[in-house]
Amino acid sequence: MDFLNPAFWTFVAIIAGIYAIFSLGLYVQFSLAGLPNFGHVAFMAVAAYTMAILVVRYTVPMPLAAGAGLLGAVVLALVLGIPTLRLRADYLAIATVAGGEIIRYLAMNLPDLTGGPIGSIALLGPGQIALYNGDWLAFLDRIAANLSGLLGARLSRDAAAALLVWGLAGVLVLVLWRCERSPWGRVLKGIREDEAAVTAVGKNVFAFKLQALILGAVLAGVAGLLLAWQIGVFSPEDYQPTLTFYAYLIVILGGMNRLLAIPVGAVAFSLLYSGTRLLNFFPLSLIDSGSRAFLRLFLVGFLLVLLMAVRPEGMLGNRRELLLEK
Amino acid sequence: MSAVLLEVEHLSKSFGGVAALEGATFAVEEGSITALIGPNGAGKTTAFNVISGFLKPDAGIIRFAGRRIEGLRGAQVARAGLVRAFQTPRVLTRMSVLDNMMLAGKDQPGERLSLTWLTPGRVAAREVEVHRRAIDLLELLRLLPLAEAYAGTLSGGQRKLLELGRALMVEPRMILLDEPMAGVAPALAEQLLGHIRRLRAERGVTFCVVEHDMDVVMSISDRVIVMDEGRVIAADVPDAIQSNERVIEAYLGRLAAASEPAIADRGSAP
Repeated sequence: MDFLNPAFWTFVAIIAGIYAIFSLGLYVQFSLAGLPNFGHVAFMAVAAYTMAILVVRYTVPMPLAAGAGLLGAVVLALVLGIPTLRLRADYLAIATVAGGEIIRYLAMNLPDLTGGPIGSIALLGPGQIALYNGDWLAFLDRIAANLSGLLGARLSRDAAAALLVWGLAGVLVLVLWRCERSPWGRVLKGIREDEAAVTAVGKNVFAFKLQALILGAVLAGVAGLLLAWQIGVFSPEDYQPTLTFYAYLIVILGGMNRLLAIPVGAVAFSLLYSGTRLLNFFPLSLIDSGSRAFLRLFLVGFLLVLLMAVRPEGMLGNRRELLLEK
Repeated sequence: MSAVLLEVEHLSKSFGGVAALEGATFAVEEGSITALIGPNGAGKTTAFNVISGFLKPDAGIIRFAGRRIEGLRGAQVARAGLVRAFQTPRVLTRMSVLDNMMLAGKDQPGERLSLTWLTPGRVAAREVEVHRRAIDLLELLRLLPLAEAYAGTLSGGQRKLLELGRALMVEPRMILLDEPMAGVAPALAEQLLGHIRRLRAERGVTFCVVEHDMDVVMSISDRVIVMDEGRVIAADVPDAIQSNERVIEAYLGRLAAASEPAIADRGSAP
């Protein structure tokens, strides 16, 4: 792959933007409200599957199907949250881990509904190729055409997608910035620190936690829709728990409890993760590509460990805050 | 005599087979400083946890300002005007002292996410009031210089003060303090006592205080309630409590009780 190929970097930028939105959801849940959600990827999966099934099977218009997808993520948040959020945080952690896996296994084992292990392409059964993102691509083409006219330069479809995704990520950061600094955000942070203390001053901790879980689920759902539209096909294997941990990496890499650290962390993670794909020059080219792939993952892990050793507070975090006991 | 603010009747609570409260009955008068004392395991902290809605009672009635509150959850009890503090102060360590206070402000419409966006003016106006109240209280408690510091950097005694301040942000009629003097440096303890007296005198806040230091109990309280083994064994003014036989027995243990028959036996020996 060419190091200077702009198409490659545009793709990396889109994925980074989607990861940023995905991680913003985790930021609301984990950094603001202290909710340990280890099944974040499930919200992504539910939104993508709901949307794709509605579009392919029932020819529901894309915006409506997208709305239903987000609603699906909200329903999952309610199912996971209502029984566990009154209990200690451990229960939510367990429920979300299990919830994430259950969603993935359901997708795998309900081929009539989900296309089974083959994924979205088999949504109409074997023998027919199902596509759900035609409207999205047409939408991107329109944006690309409009922007091209505006900028006077030809814009590729992917470039339009990158602008759209990062534009949305930017708006979401601004919205969350305001939410975090509102009295609502203050109560959430208090719950993160000590929920008994917040209960003792008359706040309904359960309701706040449920709101945070739902808001985070919606953001993950948005990321799930964008990823599905952009890649064009998906299967249960695309919703492995590793994706949830990428979001944790981004939150921690960027700096705990810093909203602006999320986009920064998403870019850093994507550079680290995708950028190392390009380590194909001498002397690494002496190693065969299969071994290089493993070497790459090793390198990603090593760099992350190194960063945590040197800067445990992350890129933008506050070390003094990190050192305070809960 | 002033009106009863908090009334507890036949309160029971068991953990597994262990009864922490067995029909405890007592009342706290409005505007009083009432001490709740008793040996370890008497059920004082359990009583606080049940009254404040942090635990559900197995049986019994709790009335606050004439209203039954035994079925309410912790947050609802606090909103009803009965706020508790904890034995080990629970401050929100990675938030500033000022944010610790402002978080507790009541009736802030901005706690609803929708209203933050729909009625920013109302939210901002209430925020100004909450901020003013927080600053006033921090000044009263002499914590104002620390307003911007992380609460996690405060000393144990300062944390107790902050917790008292945070409770006052809720504009409560009554505050439950669980061992406010434990682990507090003497100078700060004196200050804390002063605050409690002043808040009662100037703002009419009622206090119910669990305390082990008898000098503190005798000097600060109008009335003392003594608990032992989940029951209330005495309730009186401090002076009377000091000479109450059942109280002495409870505190000095079964030692006195056990030695009595021995003396009687010896007396009846030929």
